[in-house]
Amino acid sequence: MIDHTPAIKQFIVEEFMPDVPVEQLDSDYDLLDGAVIDSLGLLQVIAWIEETFDLALNDAEIGPDDFRSVQAMQAFIAQSKN
Amino acid sequence: MTVACAAPSLAERVLEHARLRPTAPALIWRGRAVEYAELANLVLDARRRLQSLDGRGPIGLLARKSPEAIALILACLLARRPVFVPSPDLAADVLRRLFARAGCSHILTPGEPAAAASAFEAAAVRRLGQDDGADIALMLTTSGSTGDPKIVPLAPGALDRFTAWAGDHFSITQQTTVLSYAPLNFDLCVLDIWTTLSHGGTVALVEHERATDARHMLELLAAAQVEVVQGVPMLFRLLSDAASKDERRVDSVRHVLVTGDSIAPSALATLAVLFPRARFHNVYGCTETNDSFVSEIDLRAVAARGEIPIGEPLPGVSALIVAAAGDVVDGPGEGELWVATPFQTTGYADPSLDAGKFAPHPQVPDGRTYFRTGDTVRRHEDGSVTLCGRNDSLVKVRGVRVSTQAVEQAMLEHEAVVEVAVLAIPDALAGSRLHAVVRRAEANHLDSMVLRRHCAGRLDRAAVPSKIEIVTHPLPKTPTGKVDRRRSIPNTQRRSAP
Repeated sequence: MIDHTPAIKQFIVEEFMPDVPVEQLDSDYDLLDGAVIDSLGLLQVIAWIEETFDLALNDAEIGPDDFRSVQAMQAFIAQSKN
Repeated sequence: MTVACAAPSLAERVLEHARLRPTAPALIWRGRAVEYAELANLVLDARRRLQSLDGRGPIGLLARKSPEAIALILACLLARRPVFVPSPDLAADVLRRLFARAGCSHILTPGEPAAAASAFEAAAVRRLGQDDGADIALMLTTSGSTGDPKIVPLAPGALDRFTAWAGDHFSITQQTTVLSYAPLNFDLCVLDIWTTLSHGGTVALVEHERATDARHMLELLAAAQVEVVQGVPMLFRLLSDAASKDERRVDSVRHVLVTGDSIAPSALATLAVLFPRARFHNVYGCTETNDSFVSEIDLRAVAARGEIPIGEPLPGVSALIVAAAGDVVDGPGEGELWVATPFQTTGYADPSLDAGKFAPHPQVPDGRTYFRTGDTVRRHEDGSVTLCGRNDSLVKVRGVRVSTQAVEQAMLEHEAVVEVAVLAIPDALAGSRLHAVVRRAEANHLDSMVLRRHCAGRLDRAAVPSKIEIVTHPLPKTPTGKVDRRRSIPNTQRRSAP
């Protein structure tokens, strides 16, 4: 399984908190409870994942929990790729 | 003199529909129809749960929209216990204060033991005595963050008058399916959910988790043959964007109600393509008064004029334009909009907040209480009235009224924050987006991740700025020494390149 964690962290930091060093974002940090990503931010994340990982997520059953943390996104991408 | 029989209450009407048409669909939830009989059973289960609780005080409901949550509200109405429905997105300490202020004796969450909310109960102080609650059916909140949201109690009569008007005006009957997009704590539900159920119609519920999934909502509209859609401009923008990709149309929709902020004329044109058979209505209202103006939108006139009038006062509504000096503007002119409606609250749960918001007619008292909307409107030569804007620190972000001042205040509560400027940037999708520039103390390494977490504990999610920039230099000041917001956040204000 390819580890996309560094790419995801890079994207989250650049998009939502550019002043934060990438290494400071833990993989299990709760991005929703921490108010880093809101419902519109979620749309940006989904669009980025679709484009970057060549996934069509329209019909998939997706929920906010799939994007709660970098770890959750990594798991979601790995699972969707299968 | 004859003694009038009390008309059945909203909850009684729902049970009556269940008796007469048990298999008719009341709700559409996650792809499944919940029949009236099933809804009635949920209501009766919830009522048993209420009966097991001591006291007669108001009930707090901490829940997202679901059949169970709707049943719990109906059970409270049936038992004539006031029910308070705040947004579950509010910060925990705000919720605790609001439940206490509403005088809730119990806080319930559907499907979970009351213990889940027991942390709140300790704080509950019965402000409304046992008998005071008799004239309150539902308590909503203003959708704002000017300090804590205000609690707005609505009497059973106010609800009944509104559901009667709305059912009639939009022809909501047993055959009608209405979309419910707004969260349960929004006043829009009085039309979407409560008017529809009161008339025996079907409510197609959009789940909280899928509220930005436009494709799902388009499928729901088509599958449920939805006839009435009420929403904020953001909903319509999401729907039009998704529909334009595959040139989709939704033929079943007869009425589209646009609320919240004024919608852009260009967005309306796109909507007319998506809903080819619909009539479009601009609805103006606030939680305190419910709807007070409605206008059917003439698409061609709007295209020519570039703005949408707020329309005519609803039957029984009295509206005044009051100039700064306190005079009522009779002809063309500008002023604050004051309204008195048959659907309005009798005042906030905390009467000390009423001052300056509720007042008699400023010149010729007519026995009515007017609500000062805080909105500035203009009456034109042709008699039409348009909205000029809100008090400038109040903006709408994703349908939630947010005070940029309150956001600044919350940020300043962080020890490392020296100065802050929050500005609302117009945004086609969200209405407004907030942009914050924060000056931190030099010695501190505060970053936006930490500050976001700090805000999450104090503000509604919509009020957490989408962009937070942290600086160490002093922010520009106005001549009176206050932070100059516009000069602090200059780039975003430029409409075109200089």
